[in-house]
Amino acid sequence: MSIDPQQPFLRTLAPLLRALEKQLRGWLDARRKYPITLIQRAEIEGIADDLKRKADGLDVERPLLVVMLMGGTGVGKSTLMNALAGASVAQASFTRPTTRDPVVYFHQTVKPDRLDPALRLCRLAQHDREPLMHKVIVDTPDVDSNDLANREKLQELLPVADVVIYVGSQEKYHDQLVWELFKEQRRRRAFAFVLNKWDRCVDAGTGLRPDEDLLKDLKAEGFDNPRLFRTTAQLWVDATKAGQAIPPDLPPGEQFRELVQWLEAGLTRLEIEAVKARGVGQLITSAESVIEGVKPPDLGVQAAKVRTAWEEVLNEEADAQADVLVSTLEPYQQEVEHHFTVRGQQNFWGLTAAYLRATTKLRYFTSTLRDRIPGVPKVTAGKVDTPTDWNLSEFVQNCSRTAGERVLTQRLSALSNKLLVEADQKGFPLALLSEPTAAVAGQKWEEKFTRGLVESLTEVEQEVTHPVGWRKWVRGGFILLCNTLPPVTLFSCFALVLYQYLVAGEKELNWVLLLLPLYATLGVLVLVQLAAAVGLPVRWPRIRGQFQERLREKLTGELGAVFLPVPDDIAAAVRDEKRQAEALVTETKQIADWLNEREQASQVGELYGK
Amino acid sequence: MEHLARRQKVRTLADDLAWLEEHCRRNPELGEHAAHLRLAAALTRNVIGPAVDGQGSKPLFVAVVGGAGAGKSTVVNFLCGAVVADANPQAGFTRHPKAFLHPSLGATWPSHLGFLGPLQRLSDDKPASLDEDVYQVKKIPTAAADDPFAEFAVWDCPDMTTWASAHYVSRVMEVVALADVVVYVASDERYNDEVPTQFLHLVIKAGKPVVCVLTKMRPTDADALTAHFRQEVLDKLPASIGDIPAIPVVSIPQLPPDVRTDPAGKGAPYRAALLNQVLALAPTADDGRRRTLANAVKYLQAAGSGLLNVARRDLTELDAWRGVVTAGRTEFENRYRSEYLSGEAFRRFDQTREQVLHMLDLPGAGKFVSAVFNLVRWPYDALRKVLVKAVSRPAPPNLSETDVCRAAMTAWLDRLQAESLRRAGQHPLWKQAVHGFDAGLKTQAGDLFDQRLMTLSKKETDELDRLARAVPEKLAGNLLLLNVLRGGVIAADLTAIGLVCWAAWAMQSWWGLLLILPAVAITRHAVEFLVSNVVDRGRNKLKREREAMVGEQLTAPMAAWLGDWPTTGGSSLEKLQQVLRRVPETIRELSGIVTPEKPAETNPAAPPS
Repeated sequence: MSIDPQQPFLRTLAPLLRALEKQLRGWLDARRKYPITLIQRAEIEGIADDLKRKADGLDVERPLLVVMLMGGTGVGKSTLMNALAGASVAQASFTRPTTRDPVVYFHQTVKPDRLDPALRLCRLAQHDREPLMHKVIVDTPDVDSNDLANREKLQELLPVADVVIYVGSQEKYHDQLVWELFKEQRRRRAFAFVLNKWDRCVDAGTGLRPDEDLLKDLKAEGFDNPRLFRTTAQLWVDATKAGQAIPPDLPPGEQFRELVQWLEAGLTRLEIEAVKARGVGQLITSAESVIEGVKPPDLGVQAAKVRTAWEEVLNEEADAQADVLVSTLEPYQQEVEHHFTVRGQQNFWGLTAAYLRATTKLRYFTSTLRDRIPGVPKVTAGKVDTPTDWNLSEFVQNCSRTAGERVLTQRLSALSNKLLVEADQKGFPLALLSEPTAAVAGQKWEEKFTRGLVESLTEVEQEVTHPVGWRKWVRGGFILLCNTLPPVTLFSCFALVLYQYLVAGEKELNWVLLLLPLYATLGVLVLVQLAAAVGLPVRWPRIRGQFQERLREKLTGELGAVFLPVPDDIAAAVRDEKRQAEALVTETKQIADWLNEREQASQVGELYGK
Repeated sequence: MEHLARRQKVRTLADDLAWLEEHCRRNPELGEHAAHLRLAAALTRNVIGPAVDGQGSKPLFVAVVGGAGAGKSTVVNFLCGAVVADANPQAGFTRHPKAFLHPSLGATWPSHLGFLGPLQRLSDDKPASLDEDVYQVKKIPTAAADDPFAEFAVWDCPDMTTWASAHYVSRVMEVVALADVVVYVASDERYNDEVPTQFLHLVIKAGKPVVCVLTKMRPTDADALTAHFRQEVLDKLPASIGDIPAIPVVSIPQLPPDVRTDPAGKGAPYRAALLNQVLALAPTADDGRRRTLANAVKYLQAAGSGLLNVARRDLTELDAWRGVVTAGRTEFENRYRSEYLSGEAFRRFDQTREQVLHMLDLPGAGKFVSAVFNLVRWPYDALRKVLVKAVSRPAPPNLSETDVCRAAMTAWLDRLQAESLRRAGQHPLWKQAVHGFDAGLKTQAGDLFDQRLMTLSKKETDELDRLARAVPEKLAGNLLLLNVLRGGVIAADLTAIGLVCWAAWAMQSWWGLLLILPAVAITRHAVEFLVSNVVDRGRNKLKREREAMVGEQLTAPMAAWLGDWPTTGGSSLEKLQQVLRRVPETIRELSGIVTPEKPAETNPAAPPS
């Protein structure tokens, strides 16, 4: 960022300011997690507007200095304006408030379109006074009358001002409304002060003389050596009308001439640039502090704490939910056992399989019968409709729906409240968390419960029917034995019968021998079944614990998967926003440093409050 | 005693109004009410108080108010007919009120306790620029004995426009409340300013008669300025609370120093015009004071009925809090119903059923008959047992009532806490709730809940026992009924057997006698069905009662306790409610005391005191 010393240095600032403005607006328009208040938003928008205005104003060969008269109604702003112009450019009268349309007084060589847009709408008065060539003097409406529209007009104009001339009269030199406005602006803009109607102040009486009183007030606001002019503008206006150069009976200490002198010669090009630079500097500083103010905090630590706290809560919740779901299954233990048995029998084939299927059907006949006979009392709690054909997923879906309706949905809304309270205790801002947590709690949990149930059932089934390690081998051998033994028995019995008939030549076969394959096989099958019942038992109480443990794990996983990332996600998003804000601050700092290197404000320091 | 009690009432009212004012200042959106409340408090202290004490109507008070530098002190001098007040160009010089009194009034000065509220009377002479909560009373040294203004005390007041006025404008309010006539001073610069105009509006609303004085204009502009002032300011005044006379406007143009400092001599014409207008507003002291009192009472009554506006926001938030509490209660009851009550079978009633069936068996020697019947029924019983075992499902384990209630209560409190945290920025009530939760509101509520739950479960057990025993006890108490029922059962059995025998005889088949077995089974089944129905009615009744009991004895008191929580424990909401109740009441009582016509009419035979 080097500059050409030949170039007006302020002009080089313009693109920087434009770039910053663009960034600020971009930042404002971006979607953000961390909220900014309406006031902060308005502040930033105001700053962006000011940046654009400054950039436009500086992007010329020689910038114009806007001097604005500000004060209550009747203090004589318009009269002062007329006295300065030496002609009646502003309307002045005894009715209050007088000025409704601001008057802009500027050199004829300045094209009106070079004026700030806010000024173009005012009454324009041109002049040909060389010393005031680069200065625009604006007479503004009042601050304090019952006509509130005037105050709004002033508020629109004020951002344009580089130098504000605070005009007070004997009555109104420190009225509250103007004073508040002055205090708000005193660091941002250059201030000079005029105590008009000086003739009324000369005789001090018992109190402080108004100018001394005002100087005392100003000192308290950081103006150690303010530029104060004591004037009686009316006398000068009257003198001009009467064709006199100087009014005849000026009160002692009248300083109107000094005011003119200061405006014409005191504000040189150097000072104008200094005032402009200072204006930009103040704007940049306030931009920086506003952005610092909206910079979100780092929530990483809190998010980690919240995560730990939530894990505990979610574990408890998963426990409770697993309890509820398993107890919903409780009345259907026979069906579950049936299902497992059928699954277990899929390892058998041939004769054994056919026999086992038949006996199982017989054994669990009642579990299907129950729902077919009318008038059998149904279980009152948890009305689960068991499908007539055994269908695991449908059955489980019914279970989880029933449990959900009865207990779980209510538990979930309670859970989200509990989580929020926990998060608040860990210092996480609730405004950010409230909505996403509620959204997560309002998801379709039924599906997740169903999935958890099905998966745990399947896994437990897998464990029971397909064990690993030595169990696998024992089981495999046992099943092989069960599968082969009956057919072997059958065939060998057949072989025995055939042998007796064909080889041994026994012509008269007795029934005992003839039916041997049948009852021997049946006997073996019964043995096999007994052995299977003892060796491969599927009993609800035994798988219940296993099942509940599985389900608990699944639910912990499901709950954790949706709830736990919430604070982390927010913290990450906020961290991102913080980084953006920091980038903006760096940008402003660069401009501020650039300005500091060329600090020339010392010449105009006394025009500003501290 | 009566007297002291009345004084105490005045004091309470003033304090309550002051508290309300403070409350309004704390809430930015209530700021507009603060000034009215301040005025109401000042009226109570300075008009109602002396009237309750029965003090005389002299002196009449004239308060001179206006913006800084408008020329109040000059106007005071004109009213008094002598240069008594410091008139100088420093804007906002006068910082505390100063009263100027005709010497003939001597020691006539209100002695009411709490007169002028926070302002202390200064005994020694201090300049008017002393910036403290004080007031001074001065005698006019050079007053003529026959001065038309002899009954008046003139107050020179501070301004309300400079930046420093924010902390002393309350002193002006105090004096304005006291005043019988207000003189509003506006200069040619100030007459259309917002801040003094708003102040004038307040004075008019309070029902004070006003004289407007326009100052400092060029003599030639006086009429035009007066007309403009009337058009811009006086025509736009709000309605007054009481009857006040039309507002006269007096103009005093910019005067040369020699006229300004000689009100009785060179300035006499201006003084006369001013005095005429003020005297016209208060022809006699009694009239003037009566109007002041009447308008003060009206203002207070209006203030009393307008208090709801002050509290509206707080009450809305309180309603919102109660809404959250009620929603929590509904959720609690829903959970209780679906998590506990819907799954609870009340097994105790199964015992009752067995007991009743047992009672229906024949006693004494009849036992033998019953045993025979039981023997006959044995095949049916055995078969049924097997069938039931095959067909029935095991009942799901129900959650325990205490667990369900505790969990639901925790959820209720969590909900309240989360909602409070969410809304903490909206209103102090929620913030207070958040602090409450931090300070153990949950534990407190939990303890209360546990206590209630314990009492409730004891009652529940009793109730369960009572309902379960109701049928057997009724039967035991009514032997006739019991015996009729027993007879009925036996008769049914015998009839069934008789019918089977007759059928077997008719069909000439011994095998037919086997039908006895199903016949007695059918009668047995019918009896059991009837008994079950009766017992189940009790069971269902218990369920309904349970729900009602939990509502009445657990959730209703908890909801009431939680709903009232923000208004207890010395919170500002509690104080607000208290004040809202007390203020209109006190205003009514005090108005009854100070406007004696009405009580005199209704109660002609007042006891002599």
